[in-house]
Amino acid sequence: MRVVILCSSPYSETGCAVAARLAQLGYSPVGALTLPSWDRGALLRKVAQWGLRTSLHYAVAKLAPGKATNRRQVLNPYLEMSLRYGDGLFRSLRDVARAYGFPVVRCGDQNSPRAIAQLQQWSPDLAIFTGGNILRDEVLKIPRLGVLNSHLAPLPEIRGMSSPEWSLLCGVPLGITIHFMDTGLDTGPILLRREFAGADDCDSLTDLRNRMISEGIELLAEAVAGLDRGAISAAPQAEREEDRQFFVMHERLKAVATRRLKNSRLSPAAGRCDG
Amino acid sequence: MNRVESIASRNFMTTRTVRVLAEAAGLLGAPQRVIPLFSKLASDELRTTFERRHLYSYSSTTIPSAEALRSVVGWMLDAQRPDGGIAAYYSLLTGYSESYPEVTGYIIPTLYDFERLTGDPAARHGAYLATDWVLSLQMLSGAFPGGLRGRESDAQPSVFNTGQILQGLIRAHAETKNAEILKRAVAAGDWLAAIQQADGSWTGLAVYQGTAHTYYSMVSWALAQLAAESKDPSHAAAADRNIDWVLSHVQPSGWIDGINLLGHPAYLHFIAYVIQGMLECGILRRRDDAIQAAARAAWVLLRKFETHKRLLGTYQPDFKGDRRFSCLTGNAQMSCIWLRLFEVTGDLRYLNAALKINEMLKEVLPLKGRHGVRGGVAGSHPIWGRYQPMRFISWGCKFLADALMLEQRLMGGLETSECAS
Repeated sequence: MRVVILCSSPYSETGCAVAARLAQLGYSPVGALTLPSWDRGALLRKVAQWGLRTSLHYAVAKLAPGKATNRRQVLNPYLEMSLRYGDGLFRSLRDVARAYGFPVVRCGDQNSPRAIAQLQQWSPDLAIFTGGNILRDEVLKIPRLGVLNSHLAPLPEIRGMSSPEWSLLCGVPLGITIHFMDTGLDTGPILLRREFAGADDCDSLTDLRNRMISEGIELLAEAVAGLDRGAISAAPQAEREEDRQFFVMHERLKAVATRRLKNSRLSPAAGRCDG
Repeated sequence: MNRVESIASRNFMTTRTVRVLAEAAGLLGAPQRVIPLFSKLASDELRTTFERRHLYSYSSTTIPSAEALRSVVGWMLDAQRPDGGIAAYYSLLTGYSESYPEVTGYIIPTLYDFERLTGDPAARHGAYLATDWVLSLQMLSGAFPGGLRGRESDAQPSVFNTGQILQGLIRAHAETKNAEILKRAVAAGDWLAAIQQADGSWTGLAVYQGTAHTYYSMVSWALAQLAAESKDPSHAAAADRNIDWVLSHVQPSGWIDGINLLGHPAYLHFIAYVIQGMLECGILRRRDDAIQAAARAAWVLLRKFETHKRLLGTYQPDFKGDRRFSCLTGNAQMSCIWLRLFEVTGDLRYLNAALKINEMLKEVLPLKGRHGVRGGVAGSHPIWGRYQPMRFISWGCKFLADALMLEQRLMGGLETSECAS
């Protein structure tokens, strides 16, 4: 199975963990296509998501590993197992690529002619999307089987952004969906869908998201193996009358979602709404 | 465009040019306004040059809503003239305008809401003065006049102003239990019902530019409010007839035709009026068809806001993009609409979008500066945009205050229910 990784940055922990996990299972990627590390939009997103201090720590840990030895080295601790390599850690896709022998190509836009030409040259059976641009049909059609995405909510109930948080607020059971991407937003055929049972152990939304990302990677690996064996197939999403797209959640609603996470840990019946 | 429309459009442009020149000349008489003018121009230029909206734009709180609310209501109380009326605007070129009957009327509920929320007696006193002033303008027919100040001898009765002022009178009666206010409100409602066309629209001399407009759904909202107080079925029937007429203009895309403003583009302010009037009237009259139509249009605009991190100042039919400035009043109205839709449907995505657009509005709100500027909502962002350029407008402040108070009430309810659960 020829697999390609699509990544939002060479330093993306999720991208590195997916590539490493697949390689450990014998599906070493034939290549990885990544956006630049210093894209202004990505930088702003990280600062907005993590705050300035955490973003700076992250940048120092990634760019000057020697100086960061006494700091937390992996932002998502649940990925540490996938990122361990000998005595060290994979710090970037280049590290993973060196270990498993595949090329990493940087592009400004995953839909650009250069990116398309590179993907065609790799001639993949499957691409795994771990972040980047909204992909156009031209790119989606290149891999023989399609482009896989791990979505941190059950589809088709919760599409779009801040999906674990919206699941909590809307009273939809937490879950992960592995689906093929199409030109809509999280509307492609579903390959695997699993409820997430670890919410009781989470003490914050970040913790919840980190655990779900880690479990999503395991589910992705399961999907790749299943596709390779021909043991699973995708089913189109059920048509729904109402629009189920969700958008980035405001921090005041996130605070409500956090309380709901904690309340639901105390009492499984508590903290649901009809939204 | 036919010949009559072409002449009307040309006259409108000439009037507009004369008005712009007259306003610019106003600066010569008040050079102290030069500094606020240039500082606002410079700050808006800087903001528009460096602003980079991204996925997380407006997802966190920058200015507490309570602080912004106090500032906006302070602007409205500062804008109250000695006659009790509230100025239409503060121009950076000519200063405060004269009192404006329409806006004075529908600011009354906002002032009472603020007093209820904060206990500020100044807001209640301001509402008393505003009520007295608008009542002094009522015509024998029960109608209220159009235009600024409304005391000109040739002032014409105005359907829209009467509807907007009616909202204030109904609230003033609810707060004071003064029977005279209800009597005057009923007279206004009777006049509106009497001159309504059989199809439910309003046309003729008492209507802006003489043609029917769907944004007069705001009038049917006032009539629905009155019907609840007066128990007069003719008021309720008039509201229902107008909503039926507005619903006949709903397009498959969710767009509602019939704004019909000759010489003006379809500003977001008017689009939001159509939606808000229909939604509120639908809620009061238990009209699911009206609520659904309002929700459909509001959802299209929500998706646009969430995707592009902004709403445009004007839209063409079927919500096609038009001019790129922001109509801040329209944004505040959309916030009110989304918050009410959250209240009605329980869909938290409306609340989420409203919280974010409120952040955007608070970010462009001047919290410092002289009277007329501090706490003022500009017509456009940047301030030289096409809608009410170079002005801070009282109806923008009214809608932002309404949105911030609704936000506080609904978030308070949500947070309290979470703590209790």
